Amino acid sequence: MRIRDNFLPRPPPRSTKRAVKFSIRQLLTAQGAIFKADLMFLFLAASVSLVTGILINQLRDTPLPLVYKDKAERLQDSVQRIASKEAPPAPAPAVHLPEKLSLDEFSSYVENKRGLILDARPEIFHRLGHVPGALSLPRDDFEKGYAALKDKLEADRSQPIAIYCSGASCEDSRLLKKSLATLGYTNLALFEGGWGAWTGAKKPEESAQ
Amino acid sequence: MRRCLENRWFLLLLRVVLGGLFLYAGITKIGNPQAFADSIATFKILPAHFISIIALGLPPLEVLLGFMLIVGWKARTASLGITALAIVFGVILGQAIARGLSVDCGCFGSGEPSAVKTWLSLGRAGLLFLAGAWLYFSKTLKSFESAK
Repeated sequence: MRIRDNFLPRPPPRSTKRAVKFSIRQLLTAQGAIFKADLMFLFLAASVSLVTGILINQLRDTPLPLVYKDKAERLQDSVQRIASKEAPPAPAPAVHLPEKLSLDEFSSYVENKRGLILDARPEIFHRLGHVPGALSLPRDDFEKGYAALKDKLEADRSQPIAIYCSGASCEDSRLLKKSLATLGYTNLALFEGGWGAWTGAKKPEESAQ
Repeated sequence: MRRCLENRWFLLLLRVVLGGLFLYAGITKIGNPQAFADSIATFKILPAHFISIIALGLPPLEVLLGFMLIVGWKARTASLGITALAIVFGVILGQAIARGLSVDCGCFGSGEPSAVKTWLSLGRAGLLFLAGAWLYFSKTLKSFESAK
């Protein structure tokens, strides 16, 4: 019975005016006490939630570090770990790609298969659809992605590589370009329009094999 | 109007909708704390030491408050908590708009930063505030708690 009342409390009976004879001060102190009790309870609830959240986090495969590291710092850490076991940088390339590719330049690059294409978005998006021939090297899982593509990438550090992510506002492709440059890759280009511009222009798509 | 808003079925509906929203928001964020931490970072108001704390602590609190509101255990207290959170969300979203930051709300998991979505989120925070405040001050819930 009590549970039902809890779940769906009834409105109070209509009171007659004579029955309500509080002074305002009385009302305020009574309300204030309830309010204080509510705040105390909420403070307790917040503390319990925080402890629970931290405990759940410790049980994860890759717990969130207690001091936050932003995307660039996390990527930098991965690059450092890879670089420490890496070979020296490649010689200067014969032909340099421009720093940035326009949609036309990028689509001719793709059609003529002039070099590698890297998709910097999370792996799931690559599986759903990507630029034809693009390989997945997600910014958020760089170490694993790099290990998978190691042979293709390290065959020639001066080969042309074009990088894209979801669109102009995503920073994944820029971060990836910087990391690859740190690892000694010399012929890198950014397609800033990314997946948004590519699909917007109704260019061909490819999805998971 | 007021009688309609005090209707106990209406209040139940409001609680279930509001509670369900918080439950859902909390659960999606517990699933991916890193994405939520990245969303918080786009607001540029918290130092690195606090971002993780909020990213880990806020989602369980949302789940707890949503659950309390739905089952009716200390529902009024929970609605006060939700009202307070709505104010905090509103202020944070408002400052982001005022500073012209490109933020990702991260309210229900993460997405692309977008200005339109930030305005929508601000509007939603306003609605959360109204609903929460109404529940807190509604006579039906109040009278039930003081009768105990």
